[in-house]
Amino acid sequence: MLIEAHNVTKAFGAFKAVDDASVTVEEGDILGLIGPNGAGKSTFFNCLTGDLPVTSGRVSFAGHDVTRLPPEARARLGLARTFQVPLTFESMSVLDNATIGALLRHPNARDARARARDVLQRVGLGHVIDAPAKSLGTPGRKRLEIARALASEPKALLLDEAMAGLTPTEVRDAIELVRRIHGDGITIVIVEHLMEVIVSLAQRVVVFHQGREISRGTPREVTSDPKVIEAYLGRRKVRHA
Amino acid sequence: MNRYLFFGALVVLALVYPLLVQGIPVWERMGALVLLAAIGASAWNIVGGYAGQVSVGHAVFFGFGAYAAVVVYTHLGWPPIAGAPLGMLLSVILAAVIGVPTLRLSGHYFSMATIAVGELVRVLSSTSDFLGGAQGLGGPAMPRSVFDLSFLSATPFYYIFLAVLAFLLGLTWWIERARMGFYLRAIKDSERAARALGVSSGRYKLYAYMLSGAFTSLAGSLYLCMFGFVDPESGFGILISVKMVVMAALGGAGNLFGPLVGALILVPLEELSNSYLGGRGAGLTFVVYGAIIVIIARFLPSGLLSLFRPRPSKPAPKSEIASGHAD
Amino acid sequence: MSFTLVQVIVSGLLLGAVYALFASGLTLVWGMMNVVNFAHGDFVMLGMYTAVVIWTALGGGPFASVPAAAILIATLGVLSYFLLVRHIMRGPMLAQILGTFGLALFLRYAAFWYFGADFKTLPDTLVGGSFTLGGVRFEGARMLAGVGGLAITLLLHVILTRTAMGSRMLAVSEDPVAAQLMGIRPQRMQAVAWAMAGAATGIAGALIATFFYTSPTVGETLAIIAFVTVSFGGFGSVLGALVAGLIIGVVESVSAYLIGPVYKDVIVYVLFVLVLWFRPQGLMGKA
Repeated sequence: MLIEAHNVTKAFGAFKAVDDASVTVEEGDILGLIGPNGAGKSTFFNCLTGDLPVTSGRVSFAGHDVTRLPPEARARLGLARTFQVPLTFESMSVLDNATIGALLRHPNARDARARARDVLQRVGLGHVIDAPAKSLGTPGRKRLEIARALASEPKALLLDEAMAGLTPTEVRDAIELVRRIHGDGITIVIVEHLMEVIVSLAQRVVVFHQGREISRGTPREVTSDPKVIEAYLGRRKVRHA
Repeated sequence: MNRYLFFGALVVLALVYPLLVQGIPVWERMGALVLLAAIGASAWNIVGGYAGQVSVGHAVFFGFGAYAAVVVYTHLGWPPIAGAPLGMLLSVILAAVIGVPTLRLSGHYFSMATIAVGELVRVLSSTSDFLGGAQGLGGPAMPRSVFDLSFLSATPFYYIFLAVLAFLLGLTWWIERARMGFYLRAIKDSERAARALGVSSGRYKLYAYMLSGAFTSLAGSLYLCMFGFVDPESGFGILISVKMVVMAALGGAGNLFGPLVGALILVPLEELSNSYLGGRGAGLTFVVYGAIIVIIARFLPSGLLSLFRPRPSKPAPKSEIASGHAD
Repeated sequence: MSFTLVQVIVSGLLLGAVYALFASGLTLVWGMMNVVNFAHGDFVMLGMYTAVVIWTALGGGPFASVPAAAILIATLGVLSYFLLVRHIMRGPMLAQILGTFGLALFLRYAAFWYFGADFKTLPDTLVGGSFTLGGVRFEGARMLAGVGGLAITLLLHVILTRTAMGSRMLAVSEDPVAAQLMGIRPQRMQAVAWAMAGAATGIAGALIATFFYTSPTVGETLAIIAFVTVSFGGFGSVLGALVAGLIIGVVESVSAYLIGPVYKDVIVYVLFVLVLWFRPQGLMGKA
């Protein structure tokens, strides 16, 4: 088991954004976390990465209890992530962005740079290596975040709405990229609210609604689960169906 | 090639400057003062410019250095310069003590906390008899040996300061290219993203702060050796802190030579107005000085050196990146 | 509790209300556009000189100088906004420090050049001496300044939280683009914020001048108090500035009384650092 979350609850005051969620991810999985806006999937995601401390429950990664560990310690154990709104290093070049990731396993800057070049080629940013990161558009930034994360040579890559704001063609390219990364042996956890992305990528899906898990299974199973349809479409639509 | 030639010419100019102005005390002194200010601002630049943690309380370290130098003379009879390593060591410890609680604060809160710590230390120093209270302390009135660094002209100081500045800039240049430099810039751009990539931001900010504090302290010790006197205002005053920030920002913070450029502009402005005008006239010059700073901030918010950096290239064609062909 | 201690606390509260007033202008622009005005203390200083000039040239007291300082410093605020702040507020934080510190030097030395370096004080009798109430002695000038400070700070708080103008300003501070879509002109609201902050700051200056010395460099001391008050209270919160101002005023005068005047600042700074340790966003700031 690569990632295990046991009875994770995250409360903001009286409001429980995540309520008693337990999810396990096996090595080599592509797990999808889905749910309508405000379902708590992003909050849960940030509990896995350590950006938000859990209120109660336990998170472990690669055999280590990481519940109390900060994000940087989890990253060192091999947990990489991207952000919903890309947080590229704006004052740096594309190459330097990826170099920051590569420095985690290659302390020598020259080695890290070489490693960063490779990764940028692999994710399709080879032609903009020397461009300033701030000259990239949203799709480029999302790709750069993935490159940066990959350069840190992770065991698992957690993608937070990596497809949001992309055109259908761009989504297709991004799905292709994620498949390739998975093919290289990296476990993927992907948060999405685009059902089509999950259906074409994920092997297993967990559906969140109002902070709780309401369904889990293969993409086919969950999309036909009435509870999921109700959560996504609302009560009225279901009655008509 | 042209760049190296230009750079080489500047180095030669820096080396022969005292010979060019020999016999004109104002200009001899000015060279030394520019370098001293550049040492302080370059030290600040490590944490304020590269790591983006805008300390407005660096006078704490400057004052520590100055007082360490004078205290070893007053209480032990050593030459003041012997206090420099002591001041640096104490400043590293002090930086850890101040940095651990304050570096957690973000943006303006960190700046405000450093101002408060700076004022706290200034007030405490003025109540301490050991430090000479509000009157401050003076170094040796008459030189006892060459180690007292009492010179008739400012030229020996010029070369001492030049050596220290060269060492500091060399060190900064090396850090800039090493893992630490990358990490500091990453923290400045987005601490959250840096941490997600395994950067222990707290630790790196603290390292930068301690290193910066040590060299600011050295600037303070050197200041004392040249001026032979320090009191709470000239050691720990908020103006000392603000000047370091303003010089670095004016030239270009987070840029190796930014603080030096800032010092090259501000120190002569200040010195010339003091020596040629004085009194109310100096007021008018400072009005101009203030106006120049305002105008630079207004039109070159990233500092003067941003003029010489290549303009950010045109946005990459977006469609190309979107469909970025792999392999 | 002894009468002396009551006296000390009362004068601390009066002083704290003035601190709150001259911090509220700073917190307003800080919270609304994330700009720290390093020239804030010099705005206060010019408000003080307004009072001095009105006394020496016209023989006028606070009832003439307060409105004059309000108008003058509000104008200065709006000018600073349009000529400088508007252009640097989106830049790096260092550009803000650089620009507003340059402005501070400009104003400080303009005052120095015009008025000279000597301390100026207004006559004690300008605001009706002192009176005693229930054994506690009140100095007229400090009483007027304290009550005036409290009133103006509360007024500012009410304007920001209870009026349409206030909610428009809040909208701009939260999301200028969205505010613009709702038909609010962000620049106009930000200029209004600078005018209001300037007016409050000018009034604070005119009130302080009645019991404090006026000199070109007085702004530096006052600015530090304002910075501490604002971060203590949480930036952007006028109510936070009020609470923080009152706490600082009382802590200052009580510790000056119990421990000694030299240590009053020490206690305040230590308290401030402790507050930030436990609440990095200040007393009433948003997390």
